[in-house]
Amino acid sequence: MPLEILLILVVGGISVTALLLHLSGRSNRRVMQTEEDVTAEWLRQFPDDFVQGVIVSLDGHSALVQTETGLGLLWSHGADTVGRHLLDYDLVDRPEGFQIYFHDFAAPQALLHLSPEECKTWKNLMERS
Amino acid sequence: MTDSLYFPDPTQLAVPFFIVAILGEFLWIAIKGRGGRYETRDAVTSLVMGAGSVASGILLGFLAYGFFLFLWRITPLDLGTSVWVILLCFVLDDLRYYWVHRFGHRVRWVWASHVNHHSSQHYNLTTALRQTWTGTFTLMMIVRAPLILLGFHPAIVLFVGGLNLIYQFWIHTEAINKMPRWFEAVMNTPSHHRAHHGRNARYLDCNYAGVFIIWDKMFGTFVPEQDNDKVDYGLVHNIGTFNPLRVAFHEWIGLWKDVVQPGLTIRQRLAYAFAPPGYSHDGSRDTSETIKAKHLARTPSDAGTPGFR
Repeated sequence: MPLEILLILVVGGISVTALLLHLSGRSNRRVMQTEEDVTAEWLRQFPDDFVQGVIVSLDGHSALVQTETGLGLLWSHGADTVGRHLLDYDLVDRPEGFQIYFHDFAAPQALLHLSPEECKTWKNLMERS
Repeated sequence: MTDSLYFPDPTQLAVPFFIVAILGEFLWIAIKGRGGRYETRDAVTSLVMGAGSVASGILLGFLAYGFFLFLWRITPLDLGTSVWVILLCFVLDDLRYYWVHRFGHRVRWVWASHVNHHSSQHYNLTTALRQTWTGTFTLMMIVRAPLILLGFHPAIVLFVGGLNLIYQFWIHTEAINKMPRWFEAVMNTPSHHRAHHGRNARYLDCNYAGVFIIWDKMFGTFVPEQDNDKVDYGLVHNIGTFNPLRVAFHEWIGLWKDVVQPGLTIRQRLAYAFAPPGYSHDGSRDTSETIKAKHLARTPSDAGTPGFR
């Protein structure tokens, strides 16, 4: 197949698929509704952990998870979730809330949309952990 | 004996079919309300990975092909180009695929290339196209050497390899539950391959087949999909990025960081590169064996069931 045709097919195919998915609502991020929801998602990724407590953000896109070994962060990754223990990270204030940089090439950062009150509570917990 | 035998690249010719099939699967799911999930960024990432894989093949394919032509020149055998030879090559190449794929899950150097195919938490036809950009660096082309030394022309070997990949496209779907029993017994199917993509302890390191599931049954790696253990797709430690560059290279970066960390013996450095994924010199990480053992400690009733034997 000529390269020009292949290129047109690939670029066209990706564009049409992306447009179709976006317009049909497939770009919506996962919303975590309850503490049970967060706990189940955390244990799915860290089955050895014992979850002691959970704080879900008001927008439902992130949650702080208290385990017996320390705090963890669970956040929406598209329609799914990703979790990381809060061990090696930097925190930077943002107008939306704050951003966490994980020093992890496979999960570089998470932007958390939090109210000023949530920011204060979460930062306190993270500093104490 | 000729070097200049021409066979088309079937994977490039199949691109229009891939696009139509993906749109068809999406419409089926949207209309029926079942049969899988699609997410915009996940699907786009998979498709970009597929395009990058084709580009990587065009840019780096000459390395493998040069190696194959070298072998072709030194072998005294030439099986010709009959239909039976091509069919035999297809079957033997599928055996080759089984072992390359098994190495891809059991040797971290090869896993670093293959991991991106498993990095989506979704399982749909776009996942099939989430292919590696770095396959050439694994040197797994060596596993094809016996075929060429046996007298299969490199063009035929690459042609049947392309057909193998095209076969595997349609099995990346949740829209098909089970195929007829005879087909499930012999061929790789959506059900068998869903299990392969599972991050559940039960499904780790199973069902490496490309086309024929019989290889897994022969070599003891077959685990049937269980109704009571729904497949959870993705990696044991899921990635948190849709950036194709990070998807393509994250395990190579991790491997490099592990190998060069201070205070290790040469043996430990080599193990970080070539031992099964999850190896750590201090036992701080889990391999699939320890994950299965921990699962059985939590759920003893699973002992003896498929995937825990």
